[in-house]
Amino acid sequence: MMDMQQTALATVPQREFGRGLRASLPVMIGFVPFALVLGAQASGKGFGKVEVPLLTGLNFGGGSEFAAVGLWTSPPNILLIVGITLLVNSRHLLMGAALAPWLRHLPPRKALPSLFFMCDESWAMALADAKRRAAEGGGAEGHEAAFSLRYFLGLSAGLYGTWVVFTALGAWLGPVLGDVSRWGFDMAFPAVFLVLLRGMWKTAREALPWAISLAAAAAAYLCLPGAWYVPAGALAGIAAAWIGARR
Amino acid sequence: MIDLTTVLAIVLMAVTTYATRIGGYLLLGDRELSPRFLTVMDAAPGCVLISVIAPHFVSDRRADLAALALTLLAASRLPLLPTVLIGVASAGLLRQFLPGTAL
Repeated sequence: MMDMQQTALATVPQREFGRGLRASLPVMIGFVPFALVLGAQASGKGFGKVEVPLLTGLNFGGGSEFAAVGLWTSPPNILLIVGITLLVNSRHLLMGAALAPWLRHLPPRKALPSLFFMCDESWAMALADAKRRAAEGGGAEGHEAAFSLRYFLGLSAGLYGTWVVFTALGAWLGPVLGDVSRWGFDMAFPAVFLVLLRGMWKTAREALPWAISLAAAAAAYLCLPGAWYVPAGALAGIAAAWIGARR
Repeated sequence: MIDLTTVLAIVLMAVTTYATRIGGYLLLGDRELSPRFLTVMDAAPGCVLISVIAPHFVSDRRADLAALALTLLAASRLPLLPTVLIGVASAGLLRQFLPGTAL
């Protein structure tokens, strides 16, 4: 038993990075169509070939990038873009809080830069890996060391690289396709969002705030100028979730 | 080629996103979050996403509404890539063959 614990937790650093990179492969494949569509959409909105990888490389948050590109005007409404980014990415606050107990053995100078790469997928996979290793190792000490930073960084390298490279590629391919709405490519956008929503779906009760958001946003879209229907719809749904939640 | 306003918006977006990534670790790591707060945080991303695409649901073109219905059906049972292909193909084709406005 002791031997098994040793094997589980004895980490060869280089192998940990490779293990993370390999684990990211299936997710990388899933990233490719999203990335190409985002790159093409952004170039349709007037983003340059450098600006697309600048956006996806500095921000690295697909949901917020799709939302920002969807709402992009020339010149962009910066307050709206930043506000929507904050709303879409607010879930990171919870994810970071859930990860924090597993990062206590790391100094902030390592933890803070690493957190730049935290996305839904890398967070979920690294947390699951840490829990599995803690269960195998057992004890408080095992818990502390169970989060493998190098595994997380291997995952992140695969996902980050894929995202930036393929969004850039989408930006190069976008102009070749021409006006995307002429071919129906603008429908790729709601298609991606609806699949994302299905992934978040748990129960009809929990999805009720989404229905309220949809109704409020649609009404605001018909009545208000510009893109203010997004915060109007989002806040209506969030208020509904707050009222509907059991204390 | 590079627009300054665009770069400013991108940088501010990036700073905002990074703040959400480290904020939970820095501020919430040692605290108990109320179940109510957790429920709201769970619902929030979906509320934003559905709001962004809400205009598609009140389009005044019959072809677009029909294409959206097909896309919705596809999204409820298919993976991403086929859903996107169905959405794009149905919008492209229906706009050719189903002219006119709704209502």
